[in-house]
Amino acid sequence: MTSASLARPAERPRKPPRSLLGPAGIAAFLLITYWAVSSEFGIGLDLGAIVKDLDRGQVILADVLRPDFGFFERTIPAMLETIQMAIIATAIGCGIALPAAFLASRVTAPNAFVLRVDRGVLNVIRALPDLLYAMIFVAALSIGPLAGIMALILFNLGVIAKLLSETIDGVDTGPIEAARAAGAARVQTIRTAVYPQVLPNYVAFSLYVLELNIRASTVLGLVGAGGIGRLLNLQIGFGNYDNVGFIILELFLLVFAIELLSISLRRRLV
Amino acid sequence: MTASVIPLPRRPEAPSRTKRNLTVLATLALLVWALLSVDAELDRLVDLPARLASMFDRMFLPPDWDYFGTAAAAMVASIQMAWIGTLIGAVISLPLGFFGARNVSSGPVSNMVRLFLNAVRAFPELVLAVVVFVPIAGLGPVAGTLAIGVHSVGTLGKLTAEAVEGIDPGPVEAARATGARPLQVQRWGVIPQVLPEVVAFWLYRFEINLRAAAVLGIVGAGGIGQILSNTLEYRRFDKAGMAILIIIVATILIDYISGTVRRRIIEGSGARRIQGDVLEQPELVEVPASPLSERGRAMARVDTDVG
Amino acid sequence: MIDFKNASVTYPGGVHALRDLTLQIPDGEMVVIVGLSGAGKSTLIRAINGLVPLTGGDVTVDGKSVAKARGGELRRIRSRIGMIFQTFNLVKRTTVLNNVLMGRLHATPTWRSLVGRYRPGDVEIAMRALERVGIVEKAYVRAANLSGGQQQRVGIARALAQEPKIILADEPVASLDPPTSHMVMRDLQRINRELGITTIVNLHFLDLAKVYGDRIIGMRDGQLVYDGSGAQADENVFRDIYGRSLTADDVLEAAATR
Repeated sequence: MTSASLARPAERPRKPPRSLLGPAGIAAFLLITYWAVSSEFGIGLDLGAIVKDLDRGQVILADVLRPDFGFFERTIPAMLETIQMAIIATAIGCGIALPAAFLASRVTAPNAFVLRVDRGVLNVIRALPDLLYAMIFVAALSIGPLAGIMALILFNLGVIAKLLSETIDGVDTGPIEAARAAGAARVQTIRTAVYPQVLPNYVAFSLYVLELNIRASTVLGLVGAGGIGRLLNLQIGFGNYDNVGFIILELFLLVFAIELLSISLRRRLV
Repeated sequence: MTASVIPLPRRPEAPSRTKRNLTVLATLALLVWALLSVDAELDRLVDLPARLASMFDRMFLPPDWDYFGTAAAAMVASIQMAWIGTLIGAVISLPLGFFGARNVSSGPVSNMVRLFLNAVRAFPELVLAVVVFVPIAGLGPVAGTLAIGVHSVGTLGKLTAEAVEGIDPGPVEAARATGARPLQVQRWGVIPQVLPEVVAFWLYRFEINLRAAAVLGIVGAGGIGQILSNTLEYRRFDKAGMAILIIIVATILIDYISGTVRRRIIEGSGARRIQGDVLEQPELVEVPASPLSERGRAMARVDTDVG
Repeated sequence: MIDFKNASVTYPGGVHALRDLTLQIPDGEMVVIVGLSGAGKSTLIRAINGLVPLTGGDVTVDGKSVAKARGGELRRIRSRIGMIFQTFNLVKRTTVLNNVLMGRLHATPTWRSLVGRYRPGDVEIAMRALERVGIVEKAYVRAANLSGGQQQRVGIARALAQEPKIILADEPVASLDPPTSHMVMRDLQRINRELGITTIVNLHFLDLAKVYGDRIIGMRDGQLVYDGSGAQADENVFRDIYGRSLTADDVLEAAATR
């Protein structure tokens, strides 16, 4: 209709232009992906060739998925070593992490300088993968579980101090004021007004880290840092993939058992 | 004061601490057992500080700057591995996440998918690389990339499923009420709700994968790990020091960039606040509500080699 | 004896919470401080135990300067001043007894507090404090499991466990319902009368202030605008303190019935 006499409806708004980030973001994404995939600049990923070669892996995978339960007895010493390493590293790592976390939280650090130094150290510790620590300690201590334990301690320290200091950042500060008003010294304030608030979290984090340590044992052994990973490495070398499958299954069950244990322990504590 | 006429209520007895003490004792006993029985030659710790100091000295004072180009190129390969691996994980895990979510999928299907995701997650990248992908793709970064990709499917799929289960059911019901077909319901009722969160998970996973990509070279699966393992084995500590420096700088830099983008995504979307807070600061980690919930854990950036 | 000499507090944002305040509170008084929120009541109370540092002037407690005290000296001054808070400030995850024992920290060596082994004498003092506020049967209950009124009594017991000369109470009943409010105020009054502890209470509600305050101090905009007995403080005085006419929100009973 052309009737101009009708009241003009309110003008429809124009579709807002897409934010610049949209097209630019997509272009950047595609560019990075092309760069990374290309054989010229990147890793040279050719999915066609991989699909063609899939059967090369099939045999191995089939063996892994058919674990040899008869291998159990021979895994016991290595498994015990893994558990021992995990327990020691968790205890020491978590022990060091407790004061480190109090120094890394705005709520409990004595001053900004200590806070910054502590956080900086922890950030650097966390920037490196646990396996790299294992390699360094193997180089310094030679092959064996001691190198693995030391690597795990550093790893645990980084994890727990971070998680715990953030929990401390979030505590109720009322009791802290109350303790200060009662004339408590700093350490006493932390012990009585802060520590009880974060204790359940601390226990939970420690159990979590225990589990991570047991999982990490597969890979620590690859660089000679002891535990079940050493046996795993050996079996891979021999091509005994049914044994490899069994070790993986065993670890899976162990981790699951620890999860169940940690649930019951935490129920009791919280 | 004279004795009060009204007798005071009796003081309660202190509750028994036996149970608590037993728990503490058992824990200590476990630790002592581990310390006594581990075959670790603890006496070697005595000269550890001196050895570490001398290694530090040889690594960083100064590092081998001539080696910068080689190490940096290897680090770039690690970054590329992490990027593509994360992408593979993202693309495959997205549909799996939907099928694994109980509220949009059916019970048996979601259970099957969950089981599959759990099984995939049980294999660390390194094991996947050694056992599956080096045989298929040969030595080199492709094997590492695929290992990262497959492991990421497990972790991202689980997170996506949990994000989908956490959506507000209102919009889904509204979309259904308009007569939309099931796929349309997903597209307009579910995806807008979970996408920002899921994309943030992807970026987050990229940061974790970067750490994995830095060590996969140890088993010949590409990236800077190969250099690390070679130089440390042949005790070329100045070269190893260069590589370690590059890893630290690159990791911290990429964490920073990725963290900034994540914060933008979450803020821009107005996603649920609590989740936003968690993702806002890359370092902020959700306390796992239940140890069996992997979500809180995958949030932990610390989770470097296992998801 | 608490002595404010030209005390001023200016917060970093530029807010003047106390302006050149001069005030004396002799031992054993029950003083109620009234004023709008933001008038400087909380700052005044926290200046007495140094939780808020002065930016000018001085406060002395029994002749000792709070403003100049640092470290152990400041902690010694604080140990003789108990404090009660609006939000109770209890550690909710631990027992009532442990909360009250916080009041004994000043007399406990650091290593003892680290391992959580208080001296039997200190535990006895804490138990007596709980008996005085009538809640001893809850000693081993977690603070989180107590009602608001009970939690505030634990807060009072914690202050009493310090065996203080002075008790400061910052809006102690603002989170409580009217009957419980009266109970808590009566507890404070009893403590003041029976133990002779100087008691200084911030209150918003005028009726409570009139009933329990032997002396009322009115604060407005960081300054002292009224200082007199509770009996003399009529509606005009309060209107003056508040700088506006009174509303039902300013009276506990009226606020409660709405």
